[in-house]
Formats: sequence, structure tokens, C-alpha cells
Amino acid sequence: MIKALLRIVARRLFAIVPVFAVVTVLVFAALRILPVDPAQMSLPPSATIEQVEAKREEMGLNKPIWQQYALWARRAVAGDLGESAQYRMPTAKGVLERLPATIELAMCALVFAVVVGVAGGILLFTVRGTALESLGMALTSVVMALPDFLLALLFILVFGVMLPLFPVNGRLDPGLEVPSHTGFLLLDSLLTGDVSIVASAISHIALPVMALGLAFSPTIVRVLHSSLINTYQQSYIRQARLRGLSDREILFGQALKNAILPVVILVGTQFGGLFGGTLLVEMIFSFPGLGNLMVKAMQTADLSVIMAIALIYCAVTLLFNSLADAAAYLLNPKLRTA
Amino acid sequence: MTSHSILQIESLDIALRSGDAILTGVDLAIAPGKVLGVIGESGAGKSMIGAAIADTLPPGLAISRGSIRFDGLTLTDMTARTRRDLLGRDIGFIPQEPMTALNPTLTVGQQIGRHLARIGIANRATRDKRAIELFSEVGLDRPAQLLKSYPHQLSGGMLQRVLIAMAFASNPRLVIADEPTTALDVTIQAKVVELIARMRQAHDTSVLFITHDLQLAADVCDDVAVLYAGRIVETGRAEEIIDAPRHPYSRCLSLAAPNLDGPVAPLMILPKAMPGAVERAAMRGCAFAPRCPAADEACTRTPPPRRAVSPGHVSACHYPERTSAIAPPARRNAGDLAAPGEAAVLRAQGLGKAYRQHDWLGRVREVEALRGLDFTVREREFVGIVGESGSGKSTLTKLIVGLENVTSGTLHVVGLDRTSTPRERFFDQVQLVFQDPQSALNPRRRIGSLVTQSLECRGNGLAAKARRELAAELLAKVMLPPDAADRFPDQLSGGQKQRVNIARALCSNPRLLIADEIVSGLDVSVQAQILELLRGLREQASFSLLLISHDLAVVRHVCDRVLVMCKGEIVEQGPVEQVFGAPRHPYTMQLVAAARGRPRSDDRHAREASDLS
Amino acid sequence: MMRIWSWLSDPGLVIGGAIAGLVLACAVCAPWLAPYHPNDQDLLYILAPPVWAPDGAAEHLLGTDSLGRDTLSRLIFGARTAMEVAVAASFGAMALGAVLAHLAGYFGGRVDWLISRLVEIWLSFPPVVLSMLLIIGLGVGTDKVILAIVLVDWTRFCRVLRSEVQVVRGQDYVSFARLVGFAHMRVIVREIFPATLPMLITLFSLQMGISVVVEAILSFVAMGVPADVPAWGQMIADARINMFDAPWGLALPILAIFVTVLSFNLFGDGLRRVLDPRHRANGHV
Repeated sequence: MIKALLRIVARRLFAIVPVFAVVTVLVFAALRILPVDPAQMSLPPSATIEQVEAKREEMGLNKPIWQQYALWARRAVAGDLGESAQYRMPTAKGVLERLPATIELAMCALVFAVVVGVAGGILLFTVRGTALESLGMALTSVVMALPDFLLALLFILVFGVMLPLFPVNGRLDPGLEVPSHTGFLLLDSLLTGDVSIVASAISHIALPVMALGLAFSPTIVRVLHSSLINTYQQSYIRQARLRGLSDREILFGQALKNAILPVVILVGTQFGGLFGGTLLVEMIFSFPGLGNLMVKAMQTADLSVIMAIALIYCAVTLLFNSLADAAAYLLNPKLRTA
Repeated sequence: MTSHSILQIESLDIALRSGDAILTGVDLAIAPGKVLGVIGESGAGKSMIGAAIADTLPPGLAISRGSIRFDGLTLTDMTARTRRDLLGRDIGFIPQEPMTALNPTLTVGQQIGRHLARIGIANRATRDKRAIELFSEVGLDRPAQLLKSYPHQLSGGMLQRVLIAMAFASNPRLVIADEPTTALDVTIQAKVVELIARMRQAHDTSVLFITHDLQLAADVCDDVAVLYAGRIVETGRAEEIIDAPRHPYSRCLSLAAPNLDGPVAPLMILPKAMPGAVERAAMRGCAFAPRCPAADEACTRTPPPRRAVSPGHVSACHYPERTSAIAPPARRNAGDLAAPGEAAVLRAQGLGKAYRQHDWLGRVREVEALRGLDFTVREREFVGIVGESGSGKSTLTKLIVGLENVTSGTLHVVGLDRTSTPRERFFDQVQLVFQDPQSALNPRRRIGSLVTQSLECRGNGLAAKARRELAAELLAKVMLPPDAADRFPDQLSGGQKQRVNIARALCSNPRLLIADEIVSGLDVSVQAQILELLRGLREQASFSLLLISHDLAVVRHVCDRVLVMCKGEIVEQGPVEQVFGAPRHPYTMQLVAAARGRPRSDDRHAREASDLS
Repeated sequence: MMRIWSWLSDPGLVIGGAIAGLVLACAVCAPWLAPYHPNDQDLLYILAPPVWAPDGAAEHLLGTDSLGRDTLSRLIFGARTAMEVAVAASFGAMALGAVLAHLAGYFGGRVDWLISRLVEIWLSFPPVVLSMLLIIGLGVGTDKVILAIVLVDWTRFCRVLRSEVQVVRGQDYVSFARLVGFAHMRVIVREIFPATLPMLITLFSLQMGISVVVEAILSFVAMGVPADVPAWGQMIADARINMFDAPWGLALPILAIFVTVLSFNLFGDGLRRVLDPRHRANGHV
């Protein structure tokens, strides 16, 4: 079975490649039809027309578009993603510096969302039929009306202005230094062994994680709750009860494995949204990740950075989609028949 | 009732929160080692009995009166916990639909393993050994391999055997079998019934056998209780109730079922339908009275008394003696049916259909659903197709109506080649009556509009008045009142919906009508209405019918000729009486034998012999 | 649909519908409701708090922003912007998504494959990022915002409706319609569409909430409606700079977005409950 599983994963990953390729073409084309001249943007305002022309030649902007794309693609595969017009440094370097922070944020938020969502879904299910269930559903409605950027702003308002419990800026208290081994601050701070540094890292990441995670969890709660209700209507649950199994055995031993499938698929398909949410959350919390960089790039039309980060977002989204498919395969034996 | 019963239900009432009763005054008792059958049609409440014993009544229903005693213990007084302890250990269950009764994400081994752990086998290796033992006992091949299989990898018959094994694993004193064979093919049904009888004997268990099939109950049970509209109307020994019933409903039930032997007599048709809970609450007298052919004034005024008409035989009727006089009305034209015409409405030569299947990993396989079919249907002829699931009969239907393409051989419908003639030529000539009345009628359209739907794209521009008249005409043909035209499908019963289906198909006066399992989901009394309707239409001799069914008796009742299909091929064909009376192909013989049921006498002698020892 | 009166028994539907209706009313009647023109600057009152806070004045019931513009008027006109964008964008996304979903679900085969691949490619972008990229390409402006939302969110309609269409397609009455000679288009319009309509309406309501949020995000990052058009997102961006001095300026537009989205969500959920045929069979066993 492991072999078949690996084959499925490999197949899904291969299937992504053409999609990803098409996406790179589309993004590239979209960015090139801008009424903005990247060459002009990368030179100081005082540049002469000849200098701009020369720069255009250098950047290959006068070539036909498919040649430009081919050039970009060739360089990209080799690791050269162009040069940032804004920062005057290689895009790849700038992006890679910032990537771990965003990944850390997104992964912590995912874990938070799943834990809260699954626990909430099970809880809501156990009180079904009572007034508590209606209350719980109303609560999920309320939280669902607060997308991540609103939650982030609310947290800043509450914890930044009214009750300063958590810091609302950056990743670490100013003045603290952490040697970067993995790029993941939480791990690096654990490696230093200094409790105050770890505490600082955690307290800084807490609010962004909660903003992102809470925005995602009500959907998980609802999907799991409705999935459990569906599962319990199946004949085999009734049969299990007729064999005398207790409620707890039925919930955790029989039902959950079936009911969790839609949640897995949900996480796979919606992770892209979570990852995209890092864009605004980082901006609002001044968290030094990709999102922050992207916002600045968009405001200054820094094309190579926009392209690179957009493609990272796509790659991550597609990756999680396939992981979700593979997980679905694991959980649902019907999909495995030869 | 014997003094020591394994199960004793007394005066049980089960009601909705609103007070309307689902079951009223149910009295049942099962002696140790005996099989009690509870016979009822859908809506009678028979599943509620099993649910009441197991304490799994649906929300909104509760026991409002009476008691249930199991082996001396009063279940209705116990706590939920104690009751739960009995389940699976002392009381076993065999469910109706084996395909959905096991958890699809766990292996068979894991599920039976947990069950065995619960009934006290702690050691993992012992559990596996015991599971293999049980699987062998129920006749499953390669039991060790089964432990690692998932439920969807097994057939319905195999799954039911696994469930039977699990039910008997703890040597329970009572097993409740809730319609255990309804979802299975006829030949498998026979085997499963045999298995239950064998297990019962081996473990000396009592069985509560719930079914709608009178014949099946007669084969399997020692005693039988007939349930109608939530009340027990007759109880007694199985043979007495089947051969010499003393309640009009029991008699009507046995007269409504078509049979394979004996003359093709008209079936008993009961008007209206079984009253629902709300209607019953408003009735003062006997619940069956509005439909009973032997009823009079007294029956509608006072509830019938429960009397013993002979030792061990109880009937709840004012006039049990009138029962034997009940008979269906004789047919109007006693003359012979019109002979079929010469022209062929349908001709298949070497017909075949192959599918290309893509599985999840993208591989392609060719699956042959039909192979080398040769047959003809002539004008005004009614031909039946019998076969079990997987025989290809549905695929054949799709080919004839054009929902699928022919991949080999030829198919001529109403004289035109199906593959080369444009679809439009066939629309009015060939019509299909679908199996599931629920999905066959658009719930958003009124009946009148549904019945005349095929006119809508003709461009005839039938005026509204003419359309209404046509609708009333069609409804009359299927014996529905004209005011049904204004209702919506969800306001009709299953039988009524099916009749609308037929009316709709007749709208364009087709030369060939195809009816695919149109009575399989219906109760016996409702089925009788449709079958007699079809016979009536046969007498009118206005179209040919291709009737597909898994039920041989149904085909025998309606059709002139029959084709027997197995795994995509026609194994035998010919006049109905010949094929069913003297089958030549081994598969047909198997089918006919299974449909006839086990001879009761042998089984009974065996049981009586073991009682004496 | 004949059971409209029973709809009133669902609290979410009633409350959500009432508040959403109120917001829509505000949007429509903005010029008459708002005490001031939203861009009028009253330099006497800069960063004034609402009337209930100390230093609050009755002139400006909900205070003013850093340029002296009346918050209440800006909120009301912001509702107008939000509703304009949301209604237009939701209709557009619904139309595009529904048409493609019906084609894909009904015809299956290559059409389905093509449309599904399209949806897959589209969905490989996080929606927020995609809308921003589209704005970069299309430029700034109210109509561009509407177009961007339509081009991003049609996939949501398409995906959900496609499976609904497939379920209805599998019903025998659709096969029957084909067998009596109904043309494809007629089958889709007369047999399938009425069955998918309830889900469509529910999705529309939910989309309203989503569109309001996207519009707010875009105007927050100054990539949305033009600067002179009042928008809630813009109010948030402005207020954030001065949030320590004037927290109410930040809280009020957040509240406005929250209440609007919540009301449309409640309404949509209520619609889903009321139109779900399974719930009509309540009390039946």
C-alpha cells in the first residue's frame, strides 16, 4: 500500500507541474501588459532617455514577449529571479530571506486552526440538539464574519491600545539577537536555550497566528460538525450501537475516521487562502515576511519581486492541494481499489 | 404463550410526541429456540419493534405504554447502560442492507475484532482465530484473507454472511433479523435464509424475523404475527396463517402476491392505502375496515376483539369466518389474450456493449457488459427479462432507448437501425418507464404537466384545455382520478407515482414500452395494482412491453415470453410457462428453485424432531 | 417558494435579512441620510471622538478623521460604495460561475474537463493575492474592483454548483426529458436550473459578504476605489495611523464591515436552511 501511496503522491505532484507552468506564463503576461515601465522604475528619476533605453535593452524588454518569458524561465530554473527594482538586490536572495518567517507563521496558524477547529467541531457535535448547539453555531457565524485582516486589526486595537498584553510589532523585542540556523525563529530561539528569548518569540507570533488561525477555524468547526451529523446517519453507526458499543467508542473509534475526510479536503483546498492571508496580517503586524515585501512591491510596481512571490504563493497552494488528495487517499479505502 | 419466553412484549404502544401512535397494543412472545416472523408492509411499523427492543428509536418516538421482557428481565425498566450491555452479547442484530452496515474505513478484521473484544476475548491472536472459525462456519472462503479486506471489496451476500457471523458470535439468546434478505439477489437470498436457519439450530437461538414477504416467512418461521397499521391483526403458526388465514388482511396479502405455480389468477387489489399515524388516530373501528372486502357497519364503529379462533391462533377481527370467502374479482374478459402480431418491434442480433473504464490511477480497462444477444419482440407482445444484479439488463435497456451506444452487433427498434437512424425518429415510438418513481418525476412540476410532458417539444401547440383533457384521459388509463393532475409528486404515494410514470410513457402512444424494475420498491399490495394494470393494458393490446425484473413471479404474471440473462448473456428464452415450468439451463433452474423457496415440510420435520429429543 | 411565510420562523434569516436590508437602504439613501458630504473637511474638529466620549460633540455624532471629515457620513457613503461593488460583483461572479457550472456539470466529458482545469488553475492562487494582481494589471477604479472580484470569485460558484448540477443530472426525470426529445438547452433551463436555484441564491448572499471584505481589503492597501470615493477600507487605513489617539476611528469602520458581512452570512445560512428539502421533512420518521 505504501508503494501505491507514493505513486499517488508522485502522480499528483507531476500533475501540478503543467498547471504551475501555465500559471507562470499567465502571471508573466499579466505583469507585462502594465502601463508601467520596469526599466524606468529601476533607475533614479533623473535618468536620461538614453539611459532608460539602455536599461531596457539590458533587461531585454524590447524582445518579443515569449522570448522574454523563455529568458526569465531559464534564469529562474537556475535560481536567478531577476533584480528587485526597489531594493537593488537579487530578488531570489530577498525572497528567500523572508520566506521562513512566512512559512513559520502559516504553519503555526494552520496547527492552531486545526486544533481549535477539530476540538470545536467535536464539541459542537456532542451538544447537538440543545440550545448550546445553536449558541455554538451563532458563535461560528460571528467569527466567520471577521476575516483575517479584520481580526488582525481588532487584535491591534484591543491588545495594542486597550490592554497591552501582547506586542503588536515585529518578531522579537528590539535589542534581542538570535543567531539564525534554520530561519525559523521559534526553533532558533529554542536552540539558544534562553527562556526570555523564546517567550519573546512566542508572544510576538501569538497575535498574528491567532488572527490567521481564528479566521480559518469556524469553517473547520462547521464542516466537521455537519460531517459528523452525516456520518451518524449512516447505517454502520447504527449497527455499531446495536452491537453495544458506547458513545465514546462510536465517536472516536468509528465515526471520526469517516467524518474527518471533508475536513482534510477543506484544509487542502483552503490553505491557499490562509497562506494568502499572511499578506495582510504581516503588513498589519509589521511582521517581516513575504507578505510585507509583496505589499511594498505592489505599491512600487517592483515586477520581479511581485512575480517571484506570486509564484511562491501558487506553488504552496498547489502543493497543499496535492497533499490533501494524498491524505484523502489514505483515509478513504474506496479510492484505493485496483 | 408459553410461560418461559425469551422475548415477551406486552401491550406495547409507541407514539410520536404529538400523541399519534405508531404501534398500538402489540403482544408478541417468542419461545426459546423458535423463530417468530413479523410480517408487515412499509409503514406498518415492523422496524419499530426491533428499535424498541434495542432502545434505538428515532428521535421523536417513545414507548408510551407496555413492557418488553427479555429472558425474564424487563428491558423497559432498565437503565440505558444495562440495556446497552445486552446488545451484541445476548441480543444480536442482522441488518437489512449489508452493503452499508459496516464501516467503510475499517477492515472487516478490525470490526469483527472489536466486537469479539467486547464480548470478552481479550487476546488478539485468539480473536483472529475465532474470527476465522466464525467465517468458516458461515461458509466464507479464504477467511484469513477476509480479515484484511475492506467492506467495499466484498459482495452483498458475503457481507451479510459476515454480519450473521458477528450476530451469532456471542451465542446470543435472541437474534433480530430486520429484513435481512431484501437487498439481496434471489439466489443469494435463499442461501442466506438457509444460513440463518442453520446458525439458529447450531446455537439454539431464538429469532425474531422481520419481513414483508409472506412466502419467505412461511419458509423460515415457526410462528408468524401479521402487522397492519401498527397493530397485530393475526398470530399463529406459520402454516396456518399462510394456508388458512383467519383475518381478511392476511388473506388479501397472500392473494396479492403473484406466484410461479398454479393458474395465473387475477391478483387481489385493495383500494386506497394503509392509513398513516394521523389517520389512524381518527379511526374508531378496525384500521383495515376501509379497505376490507368483508367489512360492514360494525367494523367501522368498534375496534375488533382479539379472539383465539383455534388453539394458538389469534385473530383481531369481527368476522374471521368471512375470510375464506374473500377472492379477487374475476377478470372481465375471460377470453384469450390477442395473439401477438408478426412485425418485430425490437430485433437484436449479436448485440454487444463494452465499456472503457478509467480507474483512479488513470488506467483503462475494457469491460464487456453485454455479449452476443439474439432476441425479438413482436407487436403487442409482452416480454420479460429476468436476471440478477450484474446480468446486464439495465445496460440493455439503455441501449434500446439510446442512452448508450451499441458497440457490436445490430439493434433494430420499430424497424429502424438504432445506430444509424437519428434519435428523433424514436422519441414517440419507444418509451421508458423508470424504476425509481422518486427520481423519475420532477418534483417542481404538477402531475398534469408531467404526464403530457412529451408534447412540449413537439411544437403541436396544444391549447391548455386540450392538454388538460389529454392529461385526464391518460390518468384514467392508469386508474387515477382526474384531480390528481393538479397535485405535486411529493403528495402521491409510491404506487400512485409509478402509475403516473406509466401514464407519462403512454402519452405519445409508443409502440414499445420498456419498464425497468418498476415494481421492485413497492409493497405487495401496491405491486398488485400495477401488475393488474399492466395485464389490463395487455388486453387492450395497443403496445409491446419489455418488462425487466428480478422477480420471476412478476414476469410470469404479466408476460408472454421471457429471456433469462446472466452475466451479460441470454442463457435461455421462450414462453413463460415453459421456461419457468421446465427450465433447461442450469442457471434458470437455480433461479426458479430459489424463487420457489424451500419446501416447508422437510424443515419443519427436522425442527420438530429436535424438539422431541 | 409558496411557503414564504414559514421562512419567517428562522431567526437567522429574519435578523440577517433585516440588517442587510438596512445596510442596503443606507446605501441607496446615502445622500439624504448623511449629515455632511463625505469629503467635506471641518477643520475645527480634527480627530474628534464620538458624541458619547469626553470631548465628543453633537456636530459630529461619530467623530471625525484626521482631515476633519465626518465619520458618520463617511460610513454611510462607504456603505454605498460597498453595496455598489458587492451587488455588481456578486451578480457578475454568479452569472459567470453558474453558466460554466451548468455547462460543465451537464455535458461532462471534454467540456467538464476544460472548465475544471480552468477552475483548478484559477484556484492555485490565493484569492486575495489574485485580486491584487488583477488590479495591478487592470488599474485602479471602482469598475476595475468589480471586475477583479468577478474574475476571482466566479470559481466559488462554479465549483459548488457543478456538483449540484451533476446530482440533478443523475435524476431520472432529466434522462426522461432527453428521451422525449427536449433539446439540451431546454433541459438545462427547464429541468436543471430550477433545482439549482436555491443553492445559487444562498451562494449569492454569502458572496455579498465576501465582496464587501475584498473591496475593503483593496481600498485598505490603496488599490481599490479612487481616493476621493469614501470606502471603509480606506477609513481603516487612515485611522490606523492615528489609532493610539483616536481608537474609535478605527473601531467604527471595522464594526461596519463586521455587521454587514455577518448579516449577509446569517441571511445566506438561513436561506440554505429554509430551502433545504431535508429540513422540510422535520418530524417525519
